[in-house]
Amino acid sequence: MLTYTLKRIALMVPTFFAISMLVFVLLNFGAGNPGANQLSGEGSQDAQKGDNRESYRIFKEQFNLDKPILFNTRYSLSNDDVETTLAQILNLDKSVSLADQIAARDRVENWGRYAVPSLIHCLLNHERVEMRAKASQRLTVNAKERIITKFTDDVEAERLENKAIAKRNREINPWRFSVNQTGDKTEAKVVEFWRQWWSTNSAAWSYSFQDKASIFFTDTRFAKYWSNLLRLDFGKSHIDKKPVLETVLSKLKYSITLAVSSVFLIYLISLPLGIWSAVRQNTVADKVVTFILFMLYSLPSFFVAVILLNALTVGDWAIFPNLGFQSSDAHEMTALGVIKDVLWHVTLPIVCMSYGGLAALSRYARTGLLDVIRADYIRTARAKGLPEGIVIVKHAARNGMIPILTLMATLLPALIGGSVIIEVIFQIPGMGSYIFTSVTQYDYNVVMAVLLISSLLTLIGMLLADLSYALVDPRITFD
Amino acid sequence: MSKIAKQAAGHEDATFSDIVWSQFKKNKTAYLSLWLLAGMFLLAIFAPIIASERAFYWQEGGETYFPWFTSLFDDNYFENGVDKFFNLLLVLGVPLFCIWMVGVRRIQSFGLSKRVRRQKMKRFGQILTAFFTLCFLFILLNPQGRKNIHSFEDYMDATTKESRSITAVFPPIEYGYSKQILKDKLKRPGFGGDCSKQDQGSDSCRSYAMGTDSVGRDVMVRMLYGIRISLSVGVIAVGIYVTIGIFLGAFAGYFRGRIDLVIQRVIEIVMAVPTLIVLLVLISFIEEPSIFHIMLVIGLLRWTGVARLVRGEFYRLRNLDFVTSAIALGFSTRRIIFQHILPNALGPVLVAATFGVAAAILIESSLSFLGLGDINVPSWGQTLRDGYLTQEWHLILIPGLAIFITVTLLNLVGEGLRDALDPKMRK
Repeated sequence: MLTYTLKRIALMVPTFFAISMLVFVLLNFGAGNPGANQLSGEGSQDAQKGDNRESYRIFKEQFNLDKPILFNTRYSLSNDDVETTLAQILNLDKSVSLADQIAARDRVENWGRYAVPSLIHCLLNHERVEMRAKASQRLTVNAKERIITKFTDDVEAERLENKAIAKRNREINPWRFSVNQTGDKTEAKVVEFWRQWWSTNSAAWSYSFQDKASIFFTDTRFAKYWSNLLRLDFGKSHIDKKPVLETVLSKLKYSITLAVSSVFLIYLISLPLGIWSAVRQNTVADKVVTFILFMLYSLPSFFVAVILLNALTVGDWAIFPNLGFQSSDAHEMTALGVIKDVLWHVTLPIVCMSYGGLAALSRYARTGLLDVIRADYIRTARAKGLPEGIVIVKHAARNGMIPILTLMATLLPALIGGSVIIEVIFQIPGMGSYIFTSVTQYDYNVVMAVLLISSLLTLIGMLLADLSYALVDPRITFD
Repeated sequence: MSKIAKQAAGHEDATFSDIVWSQFKKNKTAYLSLWLLAGMFLLAIFAPIIASERAFYWQEGGETYFPWFTSLFDDNYFENGVDKFFNLLLVLGVPLFCIWMVGVRRIQSFGLSKRVRRQKMKRFGQILTAFFTLCFLFILLNPQGRKNIHSFEDYMDATTKESRSITAVFPPIEYGYSKQILKDKLKRPGFGGDCSKQDQGSDSCRSYAMGTDSVGRDVMVRMLYGIRISLSVGVIAVGIYVTIGIFLGAFAGYFRGRIDLVIQRVIEIVMAVPTLIVLLVLISFIEEPSIFHIMLVIGLLRWTGVARLVRGEFYRLRNLDFVTSAIALGFSTRRIIFQHILPNALGPVLVAATFGVAAAILIESSLSFLGLGDINVPSWGQTLRDGYLTQEWHLILIPGLAIFITVTLLNLVGEGLRDALDPKMRK
């Protein structure tokens, strides 16, 4: 049993890694542009445009969005690549579409420091002045070093180092020129500055084989994400800039409250109901109950939720409070009052989340019991004079309910996933509504985190189901 | 006709599907549900006859037009593939059905054995399907967009404002599913003339059997065309995932060993990611999701159940004598898998597929309900969303009941099939 458990847990690691890979690739190759709202002010004023551009660049750098997704081959950027891209931005021969121009600008921006050697080459050697000017403008941005965020204990040293980097970045900032400045000596000065700068700094761009290998694999979004993940750092939300894990954990209490109480309610009602109707098989009562359960099973939960919301929270029959998890004045209540208030709020959501599972599980319980109720050992139990209640509960139910246990594992993740729609309808600030808003705002880090956490929960659930099988049914061993 | 052939025809053994069918017919509820679903399917096909903006027949001066017929494959009027498919069924369905009936009659009159007859009928059916598919491809590849003329609006303008004399015949409901009648927004259901708001012109005297939604579209028409969307989402999504599931399950169950291990891991991975959340993510990350994206994504995410089912069946059947003898006879692996084992494993898959259609319809409508679906198709979930936002009872109950009834019917058919396939239930 122990070996089996360990083996299963060991298998979970590659599975989880594969899931994270799958989810990561899906998200990163999908359409949509995280942080695009930072650029919304663009086009209104030129000065503001420049500021926006810079803040967007820093935003991309912060969230590693400037990095390639899986593999990084930017160490081998050729001068030609860079020159073509610069030409596309400038659109000198008026043949480039606007979309291509924007894409080219993003491309140079994302290349970051990898493009510096080619930019220097372009600045020193290119025959067209527009290209030289553009190269100098790009250099002042691309040659900037990144503010490091190491995770050391020596905060003071880190701060000093960052200060030095910021100083170096400020130094290169003015060394650019525009096309109409070529007449005076600006260009010559700028070129001279960069020539000197390059002669002192060029060592940083000569890559050994190890450097190339480490860039190829580690300077990517995936590697950065995973190295953060190993420290249990899911990154920050792109929208509110708060750590994702913190927000998810704070939201989890709402979702868990709903899910756990739904599961509890489902088992509490469905097992006795299933047994009750199995014992009365083919009577009118059984048929009515089976029919009602079947109808409930087919009833879409969002339909029921909207009906209940419209019937019981507004208008003449407004018995239940309107929306949310608790009232806004909850902090003024006593402990008992808070519990009552929350209960009052979650009643409708829990009803909507549980009736479907309740119907399904009752039907399983009924068939499960019917499967065993004709077995020989039940007849034996009756023959030796045991009361009917004990025969059903102790002998038949214990055996017939085994399949129900495994459903527990699928029920919990299904409830977490299924709660999205209910939480959105009843405006409960849990995981479900959080992921819904994040998805609509392209908040990658949040979506990744929620997907990974819920897949992990599912994997654990599957494992628990298999183990509980063995615990309940002595016939099953895994050794 | 030879004597032997006659004898063979007399002593036919009932095939497995015959037995299942006769069992299924004994279950009255399931049988009735199947017929009701067939009725819904017919309604979906005949939707343009019931509701369309264009006139069947339009005569003005000496000229006669048939605008309804040209609108059926018109990109300006029916822009998505689902509608074109059903319209083609409307045009070609009846003639093809007649040809099929005549053909079957002819094949039966040959007096062949049941086995040969089945083979001939199968071939005949394949030819008709191929013809239909060719026509459909031709329509999809030749999109046409004509000017939107001879509509009901034109007729009203021409007769009331310009007082031209026009003879035109319209369908019973003169609006298509995307027609917005802005002055009739959020009308409650009603029958007969409802002239309470006479100051708004003659058109507001109109009443709508199921009311209108928040932008003034006739709910009944949207429900009607919504059948098309729901049924095709269900069938195509399930078709995709049943195909994937059968292939992967069959390989895993037949070859076992390393292939099985790999496929098992893939199944585990796909099972562990929460379907609804991944669906939300994928759909919202697709720029302008169309109804076909939704079908594809559902199909790509939900195949694990079928794959496990088929794998289990193949594990069981692989050791039986008929497979061993097929291997001994030297048949190719492909033939053994698809012609010998697979037909024996299809029963449970069929049941799972029926329940799957219901589930896919639910998923599509919940996506539309959340506002992430295809906004250009008349999905039931969208109308329900409208009801949720406007709190109008008719916009909640009508689409909700439509979803509920469809799902219930499909589940009933699925239950009936399961019981019919179960040898324990046979009498």
